[in-house]
Amino acid sequence: MLNFRRFALIMMLLAWSSVVFGAGWLARSRLVPGAANRVTIHAPEYRLLDEAWGRVRESFIGEVPSDTIRNYGAIRGMLATLNDRWTVFVEPQPRAIERDHLRGQFGGIGVDIRIDEAGRVILTPRRNSPAEKAGVQAGDILVAVDGINFSNGAPFEDIAARVRGEVGTVVRITVNRAGRLIDFAITRALIEIPSVDWRVISDTAPNQTVIGYISIRQFTERTGSEVKQAITELQSAGSQAYLIDLRDNGGGLLASAIEVASQFLSSGNVLIEQKRNQTDGSIITVTHPVIGGGLAQRASLSVLVNRNTASASEIVAGALQDHGRARLIGEKTYGKGSVQLLFDLSDGSSIHVTSARWLTPNARAIDGVGLQPDIEAYRAEGEAERGIDSQLERALADLRAKSAASK
Amino acid sequence: MQTQQQGSGSGILKMVLLGLLGVFTGGLIFVAGLGVGVATSGEFALTAPSAVEPLSAPNADAEQGRPSGVDTALMNDVLRRLRSQWYGEMPNSDKLTDGAIRGMVAALGDPFTAYVEPRYAKILEDDASGTFEGIGATLRQVTGGGVQIVRTFDGAPAQKGGVLPGDLIEAVDGTPVSGLSTYEVAALVRGPKGTTVTLTLRRADVPKPFDLSLVRDRINIPLVTSKMVGDGKIAYVSLFDFSAQASAQLTTQLRELLRNNPSGLILDLRDNPGGLLSQAVEVGDIFLKDGVFIIQRDNKGNEERKSTTNRGIAQDIPMVVLVNAASASAAEVLAGAIQDYNRATIIGEQTFGKGSVQLPQSLPNGGQLRITIQRWYTPKNRAIHQMGIKPDYIVPMSNEDALQGRDPQLDAAVEYLLSGKEPAPTPFPTVSPRR
Repeated sequence: MLNFRRFALIMMLLAWSSVVFGAGWLARSRLVPGAANRVTIHAPEYRLLDEAWGRVRESFIGEVPSDTIRNYGAIRGMLATLNDRWTVFVEPQPRAIERDHLRGQFGGIGVDIRIDEAGRVILTPRRNSPAEKAGVQAGDILVAVDGINFSNGAPFEDIAARVRGEVGTVVRITVNRAGRLIDFAITRALIEIPSVDWRVISDTAPNQTVIGYISIRQFTERTGSEVKQAITELQSAGSQAYLIDLRDNGGGLLASAIEVASQFLSSGNVLIEQKRNQTDGSIITVTHPVIGGGLAQRASLSVLVNRNTASASEIVAGALQDHGRARLIGEKTYGKGSVQLLFDLSDGSSIHVTSARWLTPNARAIDGVGLQPDIEAYRAEGEAERGIDSQLERALADLRAKSAASK
Repeated sequence: MQTQQQGSGSGILKMVLLGLLGVFTGGLIFVAGLGVGVATSGEFALTAPSAVEPLSAPNADAEQGRPSGVDTALMNDVLRRLRSQWYGEMPNSDKLTDGAIRGMVAALGDPFTAYVEPRYAKILEDDASGTFEGIGATLRQVTGGGVQIVRTFDGAPAQKGGVLPGDLIEAVDGTPVSGLSTYEVAALVRGPKGTTVTLTLRRADVPKPFDLSLVRDRINIPLVTSKMVGDGKIAYVSLFDFSAQASAQLTTQLRELLRNNPSGLILDLRDNPGGLLSQAVEVGDIFLKDGVFIIQRDNKGNEERKSTTNRGIAQDIPMVVLVNAASASAAEVLAGAIQDYNRATIIGEQTFGKGSVQLPQSLPNGGQLRITIQRWYTPKNRAIHQMGIKPDYIVPMSNEDALQGRDPQLDAAVEYLLSGKEPAPTPFPTVSPRR
């Protein structure tokens, strides 16, 4: 039997994820109220910045960027002095897309965007999406969104920023279909970005262990409930063991990682966080215990990892490894052991601030080190093209052997 | 003086600027682009900023209205978040100031406009000897960050110590140079003869960064080398850079060579990073008749032209100019003018494309801003900036050639002058179609 939930590639999610999630960050979205803060803060000498910029405006031969770009440059420059590659400034448009993806959903019309070699924006509506229902067809070339011309192409973020919006609002799309311009008025609906897919893997041989395979692409706000749904469905389909695939999962939300790890653990900690008290410089340790009520606390378990398994993924993998709950199979992981907080600024831009280091439950620091798999397995070159996944096969074989032994 | 009113006010400002440019072009232009020379000749030395009166804080352009200052609310918001949550230690105000100015300057997207932090600016200003004492290498800013060794000089400490062109500098004496401009790195590398500097370098085929310790020395590099080639029929002169003695030394050696009645002349500007624009004009004057030599333009539409006169000692002899990708700035100006007037045939590779001038200005905190204030155009109004000069005949030279002691570019020049034989066209590069 097969319960296969397909991933729709929404709005070039993959291209985007290589930019943001690929960097492997882990974050909690949290807004600290911007109320008056009486603690004195170090600040740059603003008058000097104005003087420097005045001189640039006075004599620079090239085009002088707008004040907004100048402000963003100044913020980037300040953050660069921290010497932390994960503490970064994010401009409003990428931030909006990042926010959508962390939520796992957004208001949109459900159309994939591909930019062809000529720079044209090619549309493909998802099945049953508002775009398809309105009549958008695969291969339509995007000309304009709400009167903004995109016929000469544009970065994905610029297009997405126009197409997306609040659920229930209307976006006007003009497309070119074989030389004919067609207008659509499409009401935005909730478009989901699934982060998990799952299926039962059962061998034809009799008495083989039925394995529930759960692949997690990233840790969004919805990932915890998606994983719970996956386990429930896989259990009712007779799964006796689970294989979690965290390969190429660059991370996401800390809370989701804790929720996912907790499905497979009964007690103890998922991770240990170390933060700094900025008042006295001391280090504060915060433990994050397993949330009770996990749905698969005892079934045999393995985790697939590779060198792109990072951040929130490493929290899950590290916790399951430290608790002796699962064997890690694959490659040494990325090694990102810090936590970033996301702060939205007044103009829609945001900053990621490294706020903590995290350790595995056994207090292993993995930053720059990564997690060593219990069983190393590497994919040969060209495997993907030939539809082969030797790491997956290796993990399945190990899991079957382990379940057979424990029977 | 900076009080600006409509009309006459901008006239005053223009005068101030032109006055500054006069000083600047009169003796202070140097080639920032390719090489901040880490101790080569005076030209690469950073110009003494004290020689240039800093502009006082400019007010708004009268026409454009007062520019708004940086968004302090937004920046304070960032700082508050950091103050409450940042895991590391907070930098002090000076560091934040340096970072913010650096970030604003980076937003210009011009690799030549740079900020120099006060402590490095001080080293550069105090450093009188450093212009001739150091490790004997030139540096360049890599697009996307980082400072790279472009060139090392024969027998100088860098080359003897194993530094290779292309090496990226990670740290100098343990100080990481990430984010620093070329000028700042140069300030760290330079120093008096006999002292030691340790470079941490990253090299393409070496997995990890490594350290090299070098003892600084006095760098003596001949400005002009000359010889007869092509069975004694062709005169060859090579110009290392456009420092103060360039045209005088070139003239002296050229006079010697011309006594041999050569049938052709080769001027080698390969690896020449430029130098003083005034020297470029004087060198041009040796070969060119009277006419416009270079057009300089600033952001106000001001245009300045420099011309050659009709008194050169080598105005008619058949001539080839050799250039390569490391021919920059003043070297490109000269090659461009010579090409525009069809005075010589240009052979070699596309030049670097550095046709701009940076004016160093002191800021009240002791830091320096080096702002690109002018761009250069050839007599036929061709832009040099980012374009470079395309040779009449492209003749490549590989590392392999250099290692084997071969010089196909010089060979092509000699053959062209002796027999008129055009260099073979470069084969079209083999490319595989994108899938």
